[in-house]
Amino acid sequence: MITAELQKSWARSLLEAAPSSPAPWLEALQRKAGEAIEQLPPVNRKQEAWRYTNVEPLLKERFQPVVSRPAGYEGEVPEAITPHRLVFVDGWFMPQLSDVALLPQEVTAGSLAEAIAAGDERVKNRLGSVAEPDAHLFTAINTALVNDGLFLHLPAGVKLESPIELFWLNSTDGETPRLAQPRNLVILEPGAEAVLLEHHLPGQGGHYLHNAVSEIVLDPGARLAHYRIQDESEQAWHFSRAALDQGSDSSYHGITLAFGGRLSRTEYETRFTAEGASCTLRGLYTVGDDKLQDFHLDVRHDVPHCSSREQFKGLLYGKGRAVFDGRILVARDAQKSDAELTNDNLLLTRNAEVDTKPQLEIYADDVKASHGTTVGQLEPEQIFYLRARGVPQQRAVHLLCEGFAAEIIEHITVEPLRDQALARLRKTLSQLD
Amino acid sequence: MLSIKNLHVNVEGKEILRGLNLEIGKGEVHAIMGPNGSGKSTLSYVLAGRDGYEVTEGEVIFEGKNLLEMEPEERAWAGVFLAMQYPVELPGVNNMTFLREALNAVRKGRGEEELDAVAFMKLIREKAELVKLPEKLLKRSVNAGFSGGEKKRNEILQMALLEPKLAILDETDSGLDIDALRVVAEGVNSLRSPERSFLVITHYQRLLDYIEPDHVHVLAHGQIIRSGDKSLALELEEKGYGWILEEEAAA
Repeated sequence: MITAELQKSWARSLLEAAPSSPAPWLEALQRKAGEAIEQLPPVNRKQEAWRYTNVEPLLKERFQPVVSRPAGYEGEVPEAITPHRLVFVDGWFMPQLSDVALLPQEVTAGSLAEAIAAGDERVKNRLGSVAEPDAHLFTAINTALVNDGLFLHLPAGVKLESPIELFWLNSTDGETPRLAQPRNLVILEPGAEAVLLEHHLPGQGGHYLHNAVSEIVLDPGARLAHYRIQDESEQAWHFSRAALDQGSDSSYHGITLAFGGRLSRTEYETRFTAEGASCTLRGLYTVGDDKLQDFHLDVRHDVPHCSSREQFKGLLYGKGRAVFDGRILVARDAQKSDAELTNDNLLLTRNAEVDTKPQLEIYADDVKASHGTTVGQLEPEQIFYLRARGVPQQRAVHLLCEGFAAEIIEHITVEPLRDQALARLRKTLSQLD
Repeated sequence: MLSIKNLHVNVEGKEILRGLNLEIGKGEVHAIMGPNGSGKSTLSYVLAGRDGYEVTEGEVIFEGKNLLEMEPEERAWAGVFLAMQYPVELPGVNNMTFLREALNAVRKGRGEEELDAVAFMKLIREKAELVKLPEKLLKRSVNAGFSGGEKKRNEILQMALLEPKLAILDETDSGLDIDALRVVAEGVNSLRSPERSFLVITHYQRLLDYIEPDHVHVLAHGQIIRSGDKSLALELEEKGYGWILEEEAAA
């Protein structure tokens, strides 16, 4: 079991490798995060949030934080769907591989490190204000080591026509595995609208740790659709936490499709700060032999008249394991809240396992809230029906799995991305047999 | 075309079919009627190859081949089609995708070329028109949220698409109002041909007003206890199943 000592020594080994703070104004935040690490309880099964998620093998490995922008990148950069492409290697923005020339002048999309160095007021005001630095070990490390990542800012009323597409790639020197730990700050001012696509890919890396924290600020009336395809390598550790601050009448549509990683943990933390906001979180995970897909949602309705919908579906096979921990809190004053949470799991093999825990905490009396989880297998009648129509057994299973997953994938509004997602799912399915 | 000899079938250890014999020739329409629990649905599932039906004795020969040794999909390729009493819902599986998948699987199984998207669209529109299935139902998940009549029409659509040699209709009339019944029956009738045989399984005579059978059989206690022409169906409608069961018991 992970002891406080193990956790601290692991964290110190990472922190020691880091240079001093990139900007004096950031020092306080980073120091706070560094101090938190010394105090935080170990991420072991005694903590509810880590009860089913064993990161001990991770904490017994050594990683090399990437503390400066890689000089170049030898690997191939996948083709983008959209004209606005931002490429990151080991968490660092790579201007020479990116293309933001067609973005409107008033939009900022690029390196967080540069914005920090320039003392950008928007970053100064918001960085660290949405994601609690001491939520747990991994957010604390990300915060203590803040360097680069995405800084996206849309001024009031700017509505982007094309999505912005991010590629997260990794490099390697074949020796110590690298730690990429991007920090992303997304600010949409009142009425701004954007679609953000993220691809998490191995690039040249195989064995690495990706530890991302995103802070997303949606001002009144802003709308963001945020689609993530996590397709890390089979040896990779992936941590991603998105923390949202939603103003009145803002809307967030988040979809995470998690296919890869040895252990992948996806976290969403949503806070409604004013009435009329809506947040939709959806996810699909596929997980096989000795892998873990781990999802944690924390949606807080602190104010009235907000709605949230969380729908997550998992396909498990082999000895795959998944954890789903979805919490919705409706505070006493949050009347007329509307919340719905579902988690459905399809276990294709007997040895697959899922721990699912929907939690609805409701302190208001006039709310609409529901939750439901299922863990099941493919229905023999469905397979028979397809076979009776001439579809071979194996293909019938694939079609039913695709159908199960389609209920998430169909919510992706960017058609080429939807096609990519479906193709990626089929790749997994084709490896099942 | 289909020859069933002395068929005995157990379901969960209980004998449901007890020596059933039936011969269906090419182009013939046979109706099997019988009270609840007589084994009608068991017969249809055994012919389609569903799991959980244990054949303990007897044989089923379809076009010279031992049907019971074939996988369900192989039976579909060979030309057996079962229109189900309770069509299964496939959430998330688009009906159009399903229909195309089924058609191309069957074509492939029959050694024919698969149809491309354009040719398929043309064909499916034509067939959907035949069973008056609204085009919007082609875009939905298979049978999900369909009314009873829509589900049955979707079954007949699949039949029209897959062009079986032997079509088995399992209680296709159940849960249909008279208008839906007429549409479904018209669809079936349009598919009648000298090359295609039908086995119409039903509890009520009503369906046979629309789909006129050449032969009518009464199934009870897992056997066919009487066969005749369509007048037998009318007799059953008039007198119910009681008299025939009594006569059988007396014999």
